[in-house]
Amino acid sequence: MAKVKPENRFRQSTVMLLITVFQLICALQVILSSEEISYTMIYIFGGYIAVEWIYMIFGVLITGSDYFELEAIAFFLSGIGLTICATIGEDYALKQLIAIGLGIIVFLTVLLLIKDVRVASALRYPAAVGSVLLLGVNLVLAQSTNGALNWITIGSFSFQPSEFVKIAFVLVGAVSLDKLLSNVNLARYIVYSAVCIGMLFIMRDFGTALIFFFTFILTAYMRSGDIRTIVIICSVALMGAMLIIYLKPYVANRFAAYRHVWENMDTIGYQQTRVLIYSASGGLFGLGLGQGKLRDIFAASTDLVFGMICEEMGLITGIAVSVAFAFIVIYAIRAAKGAKSSFYVIASVSAAGMLLFQLTLNIFGITDLLPLTGVTLPFVSRGGSSVICSWGLLAFIRAAELPSPDVDMSSAARRRTNS
Amino acid sequence: MKKTVKRAAVLYALVAAFMAGIIFLAAEFVLNGSQWANSKANLHIYSSGTVANTGDIYDRNGVTLATSENGKRVFATSAAVRKAVLHIVGDSSGVISTGTHNLYRSTLSGYNIFNGIYTLKSTGSGGNVTLNIDSEACRVAAEALGSYNGTVVVCNYKTGELLVSVSKPAYDVNNVPRDLRTSSKYEGVFLDKACSGVYTPGSIMKIVTAACAIENIPDIYSRTFECKGEYKTGDGTVICNGTHGKVNFRQAMNESCNCAFAQISIELGADKLLATANSLGFNKQLYAKEVPLVKSRFNPSKTSKTELGWAGIGQSTTYVNPTHFLAIINAIANGGTGYSPDRIKQTGTLTEIMGRMPEVMVKMPPTTASQLKELMRSNVKDKYGDSRFPGLLMCGKTGTAELDDAASHSVFAGFSSRSDLPLSVVVIAENAGWGSGVAASAANAVLQYFAGK
Repeated sequence: MAKVKPENRFRQSTVMLLITVFQLICALQVILSSEEISYTMIYIFGGYIAVEWIYMIFGVLITGSDYFELEAIAFFLSGIGLTICATIGEDYALKQLIAIGLGIIVFLTVLLLIKDVRVASALRYPAAVGSVLLLGVNLVLAQSTNGALNWITIGSFSFQPSEFVKIAFVLVGAVSLDKLLSNVNLARYIVYSAVCIGMLFIMRDFGTALIFFFTFILTAYMRSGDIRTIVIICSVALMGAMLIIYLKPYVANRFAAYRHVWENMDTIGYQQTRVLIYSASGGLFGLGLGQGKLRDIFAASTDLVFGMICEEMGLITGIAVSVAFAFIVIYAIRAAKGAKSSFYVIASVSAAGMLLFQLTLNIFGITDLLPLTGVTLPFVSRGGSSVICSWGLLAFIRAAELPSPDVDMSSAARRRTNS
Repeated sequence: MKKTVKRAAVLYALVAAFMAGIIFLAAEFVLNGSQWANSKANLHIYSSGTVANTGDIYDRNGVTLATSENGKRVFATSAAVRKAVLHIVGDSSGVISTGTHNLYRSTLSGYNIFNGIYTLKSTGSGGNVTLNIDSEACRVAAEALGSYNGTVVVCNYKTGELLVSVSKPAYDVNNVPRDLRTSSKYEGVFLDKACSGVYTPGSIMKIVTAACAIENIPDIYSRTFECKGEYKTGDGTVICNGTHGKVNFRQAMNESCNCAFAQISIELGADKLLATANSLGFNKQLYAKEVPLVKSRFNPSKTSKTELGWAGIGQSTTYVNPTHFLAIINAIANGGTGYSPDRIKQTGTLTEIMGRMPEVMVKMPPTTASQLKELMRSNVKDKYGDSRFPGLLMCGKTGTAELDDAASHSVFAGFSSRSDLPLSVVVIAENAGWGSGVAASAANAVLQYFAGK
């Protein structure tokens, strides 16, 4: 068993204490920066820290295990997102807190459902059909937001269907390919992926389409292990992309600013240059919460939140966020090694890969190392759909490590004697 | 199952690629952070393109030339001083690109990789800059130019401190004229002529020709030259400013005799003249410390003797940059080592401890320097008259830069040889006529200001 020895791991309470101290500092800075002390803000931060501790304490009591690093990282990242929202206003913070709460509920629900491989397997058709329907409805009702048609608004409530489809996409991929790799199964999965990606493309949500495509490739590789197939898929996709750019030049125009942001700093390079200007202004330690100027730029707390973190909390915090994601991925690899069936391995790896790829598109997109695609920073960006989906994906990673005594009793028994 | 688990390691590769990207990004911050943070789009520092919050600029005597108050830039209190130091301090929009506001904006904003612009943000002021410039002397210099446009630069040739740098036309930043961008009287107002201008030098170029002659014609002091008011080169004629008859080298310099210098130039040839000029910094991108100078150009004709003759006396296609020529004067005055004129005295704690190291811009052999010094002293003593520069022990050379379609520029380059007044000066008064007129008087006026302190 490739399990980390207990003495090499931090005690959960120590990790939580450190995170709580960090969050208290953030909270103090936010609360003390306004002239009048906002009790709502105290409740919001107090509530969030309480949720963290209750989750951890109950987790330890119920499972008897002391290892909740994955959740701790997610709490750290979500806390930064909450702090950024709190610097904008009470409403934003409250909404974000509710989103994180919902995210934790989705996390636990997904975890409970896929704990049993048979349940997970049974869910694949509803998930596949549901996600295609959701995207289809989205296409019909689509409202254009900043060039991409990826929002559905019902009353005063709006959400991004593609975020929820991400969870279904990972589930469907992992279940389909966990079965015997029959041609029928594979074909169905390819068609499903093509439909999802195609619809995202029509919505002009190229960033999310790319994330789905990447996850598709990763899932396919996990099952087949065949690099040649992957190369062929990528080549075909590349040719397809070139054909689309040839037929629809506006697609290419959206990426025209790439590596030319300073020449176009007040037009198509506006967001990227502002991210660079203000991130650099923050230095290593930041200008202080609420002291930034990037916050006045469009999409600052959503797509550009990494820039806001760098400006107000410093490059060090920005790098800490990046490293936190790296830990999530490394955790996923380790969890995969102890997984009970290949379903959990594939699910864990594709969920982690999806998060990492989205993070890459986000951070490097807004800093002009990659073309800007307008995707959010998982866990951190303001917005319910994004936060909830991030927590939902986390469940796939956590599930791989879950020591649940079902399906394969023998392997569970082995694990117990070993540890 | 085992195979699938092994494949999970592909994520290691992806994480490694991601972290490599983060390291690349961090490296970009280290390399370009200063440029990014000091962009005019940074609203911490700029407000609609004009600098709002940044460090203070002081002159050498502690006079405030620019500071920030309540998010607005406030300049010197005296209107005459504001105009005189306009180009060295720069406008708040950075249109005058060589102004301290623009050129030292990362120093002024106090940016560093560790704190970003935190100091500026928390105190409202970044890093302060103290100039070597004497703002009162600049006012005197601007006044001495009278109604003429042009430039005056004064430097301490023993240390390289730039004390005066004035460029005209100028305007008052607190009272910007409406016709600034339209009126012809403000043509070139955004150009600091001291560092970004080039002028036809006229006879001050004879200093360079003389340097070449001293180094290449061993018996130059025993030669005599015939001046009949013009000199026929064989393929044309060089006109002189007078009819000097038979002159030796020193007299040729005193009289600024074109006939003699045309003959010397032709004898030396284009290659040797060019070699000397290049060794003195012509045709080369020079920096006065951080300040980029427009290249001085010297391109003597290899085919036309007449053109070669004119080049050797500073007409034809020769152009000099005033600050560069000041460094040449520094070299002559300082035994061959011409320090780079440096406008900055202090920029922060580190320079206060270390001091700003002088940099050499122009070097020449000490013997050449001492002979040129002696010739230039003789110019003043025997020709212009010490009474024009009372008490300064002045060495100098006048020049009259002839223009095709306008009155000549009046030019003077020189230095005081008093050991307690180690100042060099270059003055260019545009369209002001003879070099011995406005330019020499202005040079005297500025140096008298320092002598009287």
